[in-house]
Amino acid sequence: MNCNELREHYELYAMGLADEPEYSEIRAHLNAQCEVCMQEMKRTRQMLALLGGTAPAAAPSPALRRRILASVGGGQSRFGWAPFLAAALALSLFAAVYFGGRERDLANELARVREMNRQQTIQLAGINQAFQILTGQDTVVSTFGEGQPTPKGKVFVSPSQGVLLIAGNLPPAPRGKAYEMWIIKDGKARAAGMFQTGADGTAMHIQRGAAENTGAVAVTLEDEAGADQPTSTPLFAAPIRLGLQ
Amino acid sequence: MMLLPILMAVQSGDDDSNLVARMQRRDPNALAELYDRYGRITFSLIVRIVRDAATAEDLVQETFLRVWNRVHGFDAMKGSIGPWLLAVARNRAIDYLRSAGGRERNALEFEEAVHPALYCDVEKELLTSDKVRRVKSAVEKLTPNHRQVIELAYFEGLSQTEMAERMGQPLGTVKTWVRAALKTLRDDLGAVVTA
Repeated sequence: MNCNELREHYELYAMGLADEPEYSEIRAHLNAQCEVCMQEMKRTRQMLALLGGTAPAAAPSPALRRRILASVGGGQSRFGWAPFLAAALALSLFAAVYFGGRERDLANELARVREMNRQQTIQLAGINQAFQILTGQDTVVSTFGEGQPTPKGKVFVSPSQGVLLIAGNLPPAPRGKAYEMWIIKDGKARAAGMFQTGADGTAMHIQRGAAENTGAVAVTLEDEAGADQPTSTPLFAAPIRLGLQ
Repeated sequence: MMLLPILMAVQSGDDDSNLVARMQRRDPNALAELYDRYGRITFSLIVRIVRDAATAEDLVQETFLRVWNRVHGFDAMKGSIGPWLLAVARNRAIDYLRSAGGRERNALEFEEAVHPALYCDVEKELLTSDKVRRVKSAVEKLTPNHRQVIELAYFEGLSQTEMAERMGQPLGTVKTWVRAALKTLRDDLGAVVTA
């Protein structure tokens, strides 16, 4: 078939609906770098994109954005806590005015907000550190446990800034035990900090500092006090290929 | 009614280029900005196809993850990511519909249709409100039968044989309607969509 005979079938081809023999014919023309067909397919793709834009407007739930970002290891933007903190502090101020005579209640409320503020500042600092590693120019990513029941996650290694581990399906450590991360370099393991998992089996652990020539990142279960060298079989190990991404 | 999200979605192709480059460097904030720019229009398209908000949200998530995972194949300097994103969104939604309905699909054909490299030469500022308005107007001007076959094909992913069954019409009649409807759109939109 010549290009003119195929003219009425480009849209159906682009929508995945072309019948034979037109489907195979268009495909053959495109594989042969047929200039006419390639131009027609470009025009067709633009028309289909515009057709998609004619769908009636609808709004997803606000939670969808968080879900999508969480699924790639991201989260709230680094400024995300600011409105929350501002609201909490504003609420405290309002309470102070409204309950002017109740100094004790106010003191308790302020202490609670300060503690909340302190906790959130710690979390914010952690998130900022994580973002610095995530967005580092030299950062490489390694995935472990994909397709396995437990545990799984990602390791981000920035040779200049440190290592960020994000894991899921990691059961809480038994009493007296904790997880320890190891940076493997030239076949030798270097302790890279202890951590515990959350109630939902997730964990985020950061080891700041230079991490050049890291060959792998592994995690073992150790005594709470930590160990200088691994004493148990790694629960998982993520190979790192620096300089390849 | 769809124009505001589109205006919000696509302000500048240059911004898209920067966004794609940052996603290729695995910057999660870039994905957040991509969602802020295209999340509503993507959700609107998918919910129009699957007609269920919860399912649509799952498919929007799949769409953005697929784009995130395949963005290295996109040339940020040559086009806007929006048309590719919408093609992936439609693909995921039609795939869901066909799977739920026990209908077969040609996986290779679908994969081919949304390959990022194919969208590199698409006009950068394609999805402007004016252009979408003109496409909408062109669709509304179609005869009822012609409009129905376009909607069945685009929003439900029906083959011409399936459309004939759905509409209770001979296959030849449906093929004639499809051909005529596409020709009308092609002629009407010649100035809007240029190769």
